Amino acid sequence: MLNLLQTQVANNESIMVQNGKIYLVMTIVSIILVGLFIYVASIDKKLTQLENK
Amino acid sequence: MLRAKWWKVLSFVLLLYTCTYGFLVKVPRLDDRMKESIRNFFFHVPMWFGMMILFFVSLYYAIKYLKSGDLVDDVYSFAYASMGLVFGVLGIITGAFWANYQWGSPWVGDPKQNGAAIALLIYFAYFVLRGSLLDIEKRARLSAVYNIFSFFMLFPTLWILPRLTESLHPGGQGSEGNPGVNGKDMSASMRTVFYPAVIGWTLLGVWISTIRIRIQLLQLKKEGLL
Repeated sequence: MLNLLQTQVANNESIMVQNGKIYLVMTIVSIILVGLFIYVASIDKKLTQLENK
Repeated sequence: MLRAKWWKVLSFVLLLYTCTYGFLVKVPRLDDRMKESIRNFFFHVPMWFGMMILFFVSLYYAIKYLKSGDLVDDVYSFAYASMGLVFGVLGIITGAFWANYQWGSPWVGDPKQNGAAIALLIYFAYFVLRGSLLDIEKRARLSAVYNIFSFFMLFPTLWILPRLTESLHPGGQGSEGNPGVNGKDMSASMRTVFYPAVIGWTLLGVWISTIRIRIQLLQLKKEGLL
């Protein structure tokens, strides 16, 4: 049972360690991109509020 | 248009696609040195495309200013030139980084590198010129004229002279053609990422420029100059 669970965990993680862990790099770049866009969008929103004053 | 949303969302979607599929798409193995680093194509090259497009928009507003004398056009021209320069600097840094591993040294004095550096220095002078003039009308007019000059200096420095000499960079003598858009040099699968990447990065540049424009316009309004 425990063994089965461990294989399952290993399988779930395996996508992150395939192909020389390129998926891991991809995920990190995507997180940075999302963060940057959220930041720029929030500046945009604040500016709109200022303009509407 | 400045506040429209759809193209900002489009920029996000295209860049998310670039930053995910760009790592997964099958790329040709060109030589033992290049390996996977050809994927830099989706990041390094769009910086230059973005720079040229933003500089062109800046040129458009510089000419518009000279015709209209409207300070708003000057604000537009300045914001696009700044963002274009940011792209250019990022392009030259990423290029040097890539060159270090592909050519063996970050700066090999390649005609493409030297030309790009000269082009950027000419644009740097645009900001020096602006910073040295206090009179707003004079600053706007002189920098618009200089902007036209610096844009046309892109012709020899980026588009003509580097093509006439041998170069390690694609697009010189020996590897004929346009360094960026020569479709023949790119596999079909790479093109499916490259063109969306160019549009995505450029739109992000436009977005940041518009934010700068809106801040500047607010400021001018506050000072009663508009």
